[in-house]
Amino acid sequence: MSAQPSTPVTIIVGEGTCGIAAGAKDVFETFRDMAPETEIKTVGCVGMCHEEVMVEIFDDEGGSYLYGKVDKKSIPAILKFHRGEGALPGDHLIRSSVQPDGAEYLTRQTRIALRNVGRLDPKSLEEYRERGGYRSIEKILTDGISPEEVIEEIKTAGLRGRGGAGFPTAVKWNFARSAKGDEKYLICNGDEGDPGAFMDRSLLEGDPHSVLEGMLIAAYAIGASFGYAYIRAEYPLAVEHFGKAIQDARIAGFLGKNILGHAFDFDVKIKQGAGAFVCGEETALIASVEGNRGMPRIRPPFPAVRGLFGKPTIINNVETLANLAWIIEKGGAAYAGIGTGESKGTKVFALAGTIKRGGLVEVPMGMTIREVLYDIGGGPSTGRPIKAVQLGGPSGGCIPESLFDTPIEYEALNATGAIMGSGGMVVMDTRSCMVDIARYFLEFTQIESCGKCTFCRIGTLRMKELLTRICGGEGTMEDIDMLENVAHQVKSSSLCGLGQTAPNPVLTTLKYFRDEYVAHVEEKRCPAGVCKGLITHTIVKDRCTGCSICDRYCPVDAITGVVKQPGSWVIDQELCINCGMCVEVCNFDAIRVQ
Amino acid sequence: MEQSSLEATVDKVLVQKWIAEIGSDAPAAVPLLQAVQNEYGYLPREAMNIIVSETDISASQLFGVATFYSQFRLDPVGRFIIKVCHGTACHVSGADRINTALRQSLGIKDEKEDTARNGSYTIEDVACIGCCSLAPVMLIGDETFGNLKGADAQRSLKKHARQHGEFLPGHEEKRSEADAPEKKSPGKKKKEML
Repeated sequence: MSAQPSTPVTIIVGEGTCGIAAGAKDVFETFRDMAPETEIKTVGCVGMCHEEVMVEIFDDEGGSYLYGKVDKKSIPAILKFHRGEGALPGDHLIRSSVQPDGAEYLTRQTRIALRNVGRLDPKSLEEYRERGGYRSIEKILTDGISPEEVIEEIKTAGLRGRGGAGFPTAVKWNFARSAKGDEKYLICNGDEGDPGAFMDRSLLEGDPHSVLEGMLIAAYAIGASFGYAYIRAEYPLAVEHFGKAIQDARIAGFLGKNILGHAFDFDVKIKQGAGAFVCGEETALIASVEGNRGMPRIRPPFPAVRGLFGKPTIINNVETLANLAWIIEKGGAAYAGIGTGESKGTKVFALAGTIKRGGLVEVPMGMTIREVLYDIGGGPSTGRPIKAVQLGGPSGGCIPESLFDTPIEYEALNATGAIMGSGGMVVMDTRSCMVDIARYFLEFTQIESCGKCTFCRIGTLRMKELLTRICGGEGTMEDIDMLENVAHQVKSSSLCGLGQTAPNPVLTTLKYFRDEYVAHVEEKRCPAGVCKGLITHTIVKDRCTGCSICDRYCPVDAITGVVKQPGSWVIDQELCINCGMCVEVCNFDAIRVQ
Repeated sequence: MEQSSLEATVDKVLVQKWIAEIGSDAPAAVPLLQAVQNEYGYLPREAMNIIVSETDISASQLFGVATFYSQFRLDPVGRFIIKVCHGTACHVSGADRINTALRQSLGIKDEKEDTARNGSYTIEDVACIGCCSLAPVMLIGDETFGNLKGADAQRSLKKHARQHGEFLPGHEEKRSEADAPEKKSPGKKKKEML
């Protein structure tokens, strides 16, 4: 069906954290053993996590072939094809230069922040340079563009903070620029604590130099000479790649004193976060870098005026920084040409959950949630319809299917009760219980609450208790009212973003899925079949073959029967903990969850 | 309790070396504790005492920091740590079941305990690891395992134990049977059927 490829010259294996988790190291080794004549390189995450391990093969006539779901077993067939000895391994081919279509997943996206991720070796400064890297900071320094002009350009671009709140970047920078003092700091916030979000990890792992160049541009604009990159310790590969980028940039003269021979000094140090969700909050993050418990303080004074070690400090999110070099190179107007009214440019989302094509996607603002889920994500992966999508993690909310035509814009999403957030987009089908999701997030925020404000510390605990009671079938209708009441109080009486947004998962699920709460309370029923206190597991006699596999995996020995006698198997309801192990291992769909 | 035998012997010279490298002022608290934990898997009291006596960091600051961040542990751990991801995507796709399955394999019955009695493995719940598309996910040491069902998690653990000379306690009477499905790979079979 396609022209014979010519000799492969370069094989590229995607080795982001998810690639490695899917077995990329093995694939890399196998290619090296089986095709020793070919150059084999690694790149960061392409973003198509559902297709991991991904391999791209370039031949000597400029043709390229992108393969997905590659494992050791599929490599011989792929190599055979490229050596002209076999047919095209169509099952694995995502796209090729011969057949460029078929990957709507990529064509519907606009890649600015992710422009290099998955396309270059993140450990190579040269490759970043070849793709136009460090040209923006060079342009600023050699053309003598003033910091004020840089800020103006970002203002024209209309860039807003991508960490969640969406504060205009240029306005923030201006505060720090005009703050008094010779010593100022820039912090790159890579403390991606939202469960369900991994865009910062992917950027730091897959294209660290673009984040570093963004830090240089921001530091120049605000007049900072030192910066910290605060990266979660849970992201070892990101720490490694960013550390290498700093070293190489220092050697190449992009960091240090008198950068590129101009009167601009800047250097960066990595600070590894130690795991505290509240440290995504600016003042808490500063406390953490200073070596203290990461507890937020009252603002003002804002960090832009009095921040790290009492000096003016700007904290920008990883994704915000990754956009900067592009904006300086192409101009603010070009960036503002993408997106809508108050929301310019693009946003990266981490698409996960019950979705066919999960991964990192970067879309122009204004695209609807439905387009992201169905056109890019390919719809549900389970065959069951998508019920809701969770945006913004523990600070966000669940948006029901009926609102999927909402455009991705800061204000439009806020109006639903959710938030843009840092970009986690977890898709849930009809087997997800909305009350359980609310309980899950409250459990998270309750643990992560730093304890400073009473409303947040005790309010989240009370909400969690109420939700646990409802999930356990012991809730009353008064509990639902109480839950709503406490939620509003926590929202209005907490100091920082954590407490102010912690009730969002509760409030949005109450708003859109109240019927599920009521079913838990009045009918003692979990419609999705999730809440352990409200479900039972039983064996369907006509489906059971008596294979006994469920018995072997039951952690509490609640299943008994005689091997090969289907009718004899029963689950002891007294012992059963409703863990669902039996459902997973049964090959005959013979366990019923009610 | 058996777990007390897991207490590490602290090398004072090593701690002093870290202090010399990292610093002895307040901002050094987090990286110092990270260095200690990297070495010992947890924060032995003795190491904390050395830091307090040889730096400008007060005991209240150091212990305050150690108890604030979820990364730090004050109790000894097993020789390997299994991190079970409980991010949103993992939660929705059954992360709790991974815990149940692993606890079964390791014979950990007491809800308050997280380490196998023979000091082999410790189960730790972590917030998002950031491989949401492979949910549910766990890490044994540095190795990531994705798209898990409870049975897959048990199989991966068993394989890891075999490779690293550890043995899985508990369920001795079930052992020969429990080993059986491994060759037939029931999980895999089901995947293919779907």
